[in-house]
Amino acid sequence: MNRADKLFIVFLIVLSLLSYIPLLIQDWQNKDKQKEVVVQYRNEEVLREDLRKDATYRLQGTLGEVTVEVKDEAVRVEKETSPYHLCSIQGWVRDSGRAIICLPNEMIVQIEASEPTDNGVDTVIQ
Amino acid sequence: MMNQTKRLTHITMLIAISILFHLIESMIPIPIMIPGFKLGLANIVGLIALYSYDAKIMLGVNIMRVWMASLLRGMLFAPGFWLSFSGVLLSSIAAILARKYSPMSMYGVSCASSACHVIGQVCAVSILYHQFLMGALLPILLLLSIPTGLFTGMLAMQVLKRIQTER
Repeated sequence: MNRADKLFIVFLIVLSLLSYIPLLIQDWQNKDKQKEVVVQYRNEEVLREDLRKDATYRLQGTLGEVTVEVKDEAVRVEKETSPYHLCSIQGWVRDSGRAIICLPNEMIVQIEASEPTDNGVDTVIQ
Repeated sequence: MMNQTKRLTHITMLIAISILFHLIESMIPIPIMIPGFKLGLANIVGLIALYSYDAKIMLGVNIMRVWMASLLRGMLFAPGFWLSFSGVLLSSIAAILARKYSPMSMYGVSCASSACHVIGQVCAVSILYHQFLMGALLPILLLLSIPTGLFTGMLAMQVLKRIQTER
């Protein structure tokens, strides 16, 4: 390994750290917003629920039933039918931007931040 | 005339080995559970092609490899094919440029190609699924591409050393 190699490796490490910054900014912006769990199946939204509500949802995926659990403002795929069980091994997710993707079941579990609910009153009044 | 036949056979065998690596790779269990992470064994063959022949041969070997492996799996033009294809295209171009225009050794060239493979795949996922999902995985995949790049670079170097003494 020569000097150019080492410089390039340092450059790669810096690049990977820099690519983490937009995520941190996004998390910081979404800190006070209300969060929702959104589940998509084949590009169609099948579930949208408040993240603060603890519950277990049973959804139908391509290979079988997918159980999505919401607890303590975090979400995980509890049980699913797939060759490697990658999405249930991934465990709990509590930030928007880090999605659970289950490709064998064609399902995407995601946390979305929305605006605070107090503007919902305005729409009712209008 | 004989020499050209030997060359053709050699390139064909490189393609065959890389297809085998491509197919075997998905069967190797990896202890780190990150979607999209793999060793990149097929890249070893690409690097050997680049160093023992030229850029054109490497591009040919890599594209033929993705094409044939997808055909054998029965997933030609499926999402998985486009992910491999975009990754391989970008990584080949990166390796060719890195070899031609930089003083880096095989380690650096291998790292560049594996990092660009990751970037290509993340771009393909973002375009195919219309969302910026894999953006969250980009930092960690980039970081992991360094050790795997060094690993494939080392293997390719050792293989090349032995091939050259055989000749």
